[in-house]
Amino acid sequence: MGTPSDTIDKVGAGLDALDVPVEAHKPPLWRRFLKTGVPPIIAFALLLGVWQALWASAILPEFQLPAPVNVWNELVRSISTGEAFGILWTSLHRAVFGFIAAVLIATPLGLLIAKVRVVRAAIGSLLTGLQSLPSVAWVPAAILWFGVTPSTIYFVVLMGSVPSIANGLVAGIDQIPPLLPRVGRALGAGRLASARHILLPAALPGYLAGLKQGWAFSWRSLMAAEIIATSPQLGVGLGQYLHNGSSLNDINMVIAAIFLILLVGIGIELMLFRPLERAVLRARGLTGAL
Amino acid sequence: MTATLETTVLSTVDTAVELAGVRKVFGHGNSAVVALDGVDLKVKPGEFVCLLGASGCGKSTLLNIVAGLDGATSGSLQLNTSRPAVMFQEPALMPWLTAARNVELALRFAGVGRLARKRRALELLELVRLGDVADKRPHELSGGMRQRVALARALASTTVSADGSPALLLMDEPFAALDAITRDVLQSELLRVWETTNTAIIFVTHDVREAVRLGQRVVLLSSRPGRVVREWDVTDSSNTVLDEINTHLREVISGHAV
Repeated sequence: MGTPSDTIDKVGAGLDALDVPVEAHKPPLWRRFLKTGVPPIIAFALLLGVWQALWASAILPEFQLPAPVNVWNELVRSISTGEAFGILWTSLHRAVFGFIAAVLIATPLGLLIAKVRVVRAAIGSLLTGLQSLPSVAWVPAAILWFGVTPSTIYFVVLMGSVPSIANGLVAGIDQIPPLLPRVGRALGAGRLASARHILLPAALPGYLAGLKQGWAFSWRSLMAAEIIATSPQLGVGLGQYLHNGSSLNDINMVIAAIFLILLVGIGIELMLFRPLERAVLRARGLTGAL
Repeated sequence: MTATLETTVLSTVDTAVELAGVRKVFGHGNSAVVALDGVDLKVKPGEFVCLLGASGCGKSTLLNIVAGLDGATSGSLQLNTSRPAVMFQEPALMPWLTAARNVELALRFAGVGRLARKRRALELLELVRLGDVADKRPHELSGGMRQRVALARALASTTVSADGSPALLLMDEPFAALDAITRDVLQSELLRVWETTNTAIIFVTHDVREAVRLGQRVVLLSSRPGRVVREWDVTDSSNTVLDEINTHLREVISGHAV
């Protein structure tokens, strides 16, 4: 019963009810842990097992392949004496400062390359090329220019991470569906308003991918710089620690250093970038990869 | 040769849009394609006009010219309305914003204050019956719901003018990508919104049935170059008009057979 428009309203309401995607309910915490937490733990345990077995078979001499427990003892020693924290602090604060500086330089640079045709033609491919140049290659030049000083280290870090971040932003902007800025124009957005409310948020996933890669590059560039450029003036960072281990023929120290370098890399990824990336992608319904 | 088009806003109120001799050429020299040739069109305030034509008749081009997204090669366009709003075939919502925020974005560009924005956005979402899902993001909505959010956003961008000049909504095959039932519902939704807001609408479609159902007037365009072939008053639409328009559309299309 009702007028035709009532009937069609009801059809509409029914369609809405049918069309709304059903939200998948979240599995309980222990099940999620079982799915995402347990596999890496098992993989790590297996790796340790293989290592232990290799060591026990004594194919390689002790100074090349140490016992896992000896590396563990070295780690415990450096942590209990507080040495590890000093080392981590030296390297981490450099990496973080370097990374922040890289973001501040690369963001306007990326915007310029993406939006100004001449700039893109002039330095676009240079920037992509720089990404394939290992940043270690800058260390000798930097030492000649700046001496063995923090400037050398920061220079190498910047050369490593700026291209990645800028390229990520350029890719993010290039991948914006052209309809979105067009809609912005139809809604009356000026150039600035369009950049702030449409281009930048639309480019965020690509930018974030660039930041993530930029962080990885700045961390590994820092390690390369610290391993090569060592001096008392620079203090002991992770790279210097690794270098010392090698000089002392102390394989326990070398492996412990590598372990710490990896730990920082994985830690930053898990604590900072992954949650950030998830939040951004989930808000846009891009949950396929999560 | 690009825009030699004068856009003037008149104070007379009997026409909302007036196009005179609008011509649009893409490309130059031998490869030039004439998309529109001498198109005259008048739309009254609050009138619902459907532009009908086969593909290549330049109906989207015509709409873009009225919207100010594209310039005409020659001819004149007079707008006696507030800033025209545009709706495309895709909803084109910002995927990172909620439904309400998407509508607010249009108001933000028009310089509306924060509180007024929030209130108006919710009003408009209620108008298209989406008040309940104001906080959902586009990916959580169905295709039809997204297109309704786009409608609310379009209305937000056209009804903000303070001087009381009539609103104008330009729609470029907005329901073409939807399934038949959803399209049916949205058509009646659009008619309801049109009746309550008194907005002039130029609606581009290639579907004769849709044009006759929605419009007060149907304007048939020819293809390559696009010209106005004929107009029908379809306020009391009957099947004979439908058949007649269909026949004419077929003639226009078969004229292109090689």
